[in-house]
Amino acid sequence: MKKNFWKRLGKRVAVVALAAGATFMLAACSSSSNGSSSGKDVKITILQGKVENNKQFKQIAKDYEKSHPNVKIEVTSIGGGTQYDPVLKTRISSGNAPTIFSLAGPADVQQFKAHEADLSNTKAAKAAQPGTLDAVKSNGKTVGLPFNVEGYGLVYNKKVFEKAGIDPNSLTTMDSLEAAIKQLDSQKSELGIKGVFATPGKEAWVFSDHLANLYLAQDFNGNAQKLYKSKTMPFTKANDMKTMIDLEKDYSIKPIMQLDYSAQVNQYFSQGKAAMIQQGDWIYPTVEGIDKDFAKNDIGMIPIPVPGEEGKMPVGTSLYWAVNSQKSTQEQKAAKNFLDWMYTSKEGKKQVVNTLHFVPAYKGYDNFKMGDPLTSAVFEYSQAHKTTGWAFPGYTGTSWDPDVAQPNLQKYLSGKQSWDKTVQNMKDGWAKQQKSSNNK
Amino acid sequence: MKNKSLSFWLFLTPTLVALALVVFIPVIEGLFYSFTDWDGLTFTKMVGFQNYITLFHDKAFINAFWFTVGFVIVTVIMLNVIGLGLALLVTQKFKGNNFLRTVFFMPNMIGGLILGFIWQFIFTQGFQALGNALHMDWLQNWLTNETTGFWGLVIVTVWQMSGYIMIIYIAYLQNIPNEIIEAAKIDGASAWQRFTKITFPMIAPAFTVCMFLTLSNGFKIYDQNLSLTNGGPYNSTQMLAMDIVNTAYNSANFSLSEAKAIVFFIIVAAISLLQVAYNRKREEDL
Repeated sequence: MKKNFWKRLGKRVAVVALAAGATFMLAACSSSSNGSSSGKDVKITILQGKVENNKQFKQIAKDYEKSHPNVKIEVTSIGGGTQYDPVLKTRISSGNAPTIFSLAGPADVQQFKAHEADLSNTKAAKAAQPGTLDAVKSNGKTVGLPFNVEGYGLVYNKKVFEKAGIDPNSLTTMDSLEAAIKQLDSQKSELGIKGVFATPGKEAWVFSDHLANLYLAQDFNGNAQKLYKSKTMPFTKANDMKTMIDLEKDYSIKPIMQLDYSAQVNQYFSQGKAAMIQQGDWIYPTVEGIDKDFAKNDIGMIPIPVPGEEGKMPVGTSLYWAVNSQKSTQEQKAAKNFLDWMYTSKEGKKQVVNTLHFVPAYKGYDNFKMGDPLTSAVFEYSQAHKTTGWAFPGYTGTSWDPDVAQPNLQKYLSGKQSWDKTVQNMKDGWAKQQKSSNNK
Repeated sequence: MKNKSLSFWLFLTPTLVALALVVFIPVIEGLFYSFTDWDGLTFTKMVGFQNYITLFHDKAFINAFWFTVGFVIVTVIMLNVIGLGLALLVTQKFKGNNFLRTVFFMPNMIGGLILGFIWQFIFTQGFQALGNALHMDWLQNWLTNETTGFWGLVIVTVWQMSGYIMIIYIAYLQNIPNEIIEAAKIDGASAWQRFTKITFPMIAPAFTVCMFLTLSNGFKIYDQNLSLTNGGPYNSTQMLAMDIVNTAYNSANFSLSEAKAIVFFIIVAAISLLQVAYNRKREEDL
């Protein structure tokens, strides 16, 4: 009796399972037959890594669809450098590769080699400012187009500097900067600040990427591609870096190893508790979100005075557009047209500056004005050609950054390791990595 | 079960298919990739045992291994002692013991990630303020070095999981027949004697279960690690699972990461099985 019951139930389950399976398969078939394209309509898919601009890119795509009715654009955004690559890899291996994707630097160029179309002949590539394409040249081809340029330095609180009687624009040498820092530090309580700097010891990239770049880039003329292929890391300016990192460490709100990005930007700087922080123009929306008036009127940015390179701001690109060479020629052409439209047409330029708030990496933007003090500073320095290059994208995609540079710099910041040892470990680590890798 | 009828296999198939899709096939694929130079997209050649040789020279991996072992030893002991302690407490007859059960179990209902962030705030802000007020140095600068990072992780894990372990012990404690305890009382056994001679042997199976849970959980922990310290400072509080993830996604070294994952799997499986086998045997002896 009991056995019969199980048998009957088993049969019933089998019938239900079969029925469910059949419906599922039918559904799958019918949905796939819908997808076939008709006529000259093109659909391009975009997978990009600047998640903070997701809404704006979708808006721009919609506007483009309106003026180009036979093109459909689908935008997907994935946040953060570490999360983007796995998603792109998954999409590629599952046969669902995007038409347009983003590259973070030479390591990505190498990794996605098989999928990068030559963009040398696009209008945008021809309009790109000198130097902005260095990191994405591969075998004489240009495989990426810069999203924008960004710049970083010391973002300062105007009111605190005014109160102390210091003109930030006069801090063009290490000596004058050091004197100003010491003066600010001695007047902390009168100025109402907790520390001169808010130095985020938890965010290793602030030092390994941005700060170190200032002292590593000159050995490679600011060219990320050169650094990526170099067998050695000369680090000739290591002592100058020590001077700067010591100032940031010693005159910061403490304990620095507890501070992260949000403590630095949201908690201290935006609330007037720190005189300055080492950051870039990308912090503007965050500061604005906390205090609109403060962001608009009371902040500015100056470059860090690197001996021999004083008065120059490090300006570079963190992401590039690439077009998938394994898609149909029609789709590739549509993708290139879209990128050209965005960066070189009249409507497109407006979108880039006014919707995305990007500092353009292209020529032909002379009549534009940037909307906030930080991007204005970057724009002015780059229009005046008072810039140095970003070489650090040459190592951010390699294991040297998270495995060698970051832990060693953090060890120095927490006082566990001498500077000489830190520098030596970084040099040795680079040589070791380059010996075993195939970055030709 | 000898007669494997059609219905037997029918019932088994869904589970087998699901297991094959999400466990067996990926493990076999991973094992294969660990012998190649796979970068997450393609591989160019087989490299034999190269990845396995590399990982035994990888300081980060070795460091993560010993950190994890230390963490497992401390949490297994603390979780079982505290879990059993709480279970004994709330099985006493007093008002509000049901309320206390709920309270002790509550931390377990909050996700590990969120817990990590909450405790990060407590360690960095709360401890700091308390230390300032009471002039106690050891309360300051938490999570800024390896030692405080380690104990921070231990505290969060114990705080979260002891309620869960408590529930398991309660179930076994309530299964002890009252007559035995009463008989022992009449025979003049003290409270301590009753605990060591009766309660303890009677709940031996609970130990097997709880040891297994705390051991494997301790090895596999990732979310608290991520949100509380993120491996920092200077990767000193990076545990095995996090090292494996970072090797793949930060350093883009997928094949080495696969090799580490295989070694990790073997270690956890071996220790857990040994532990279960040993405790089963001990259960029979008691």
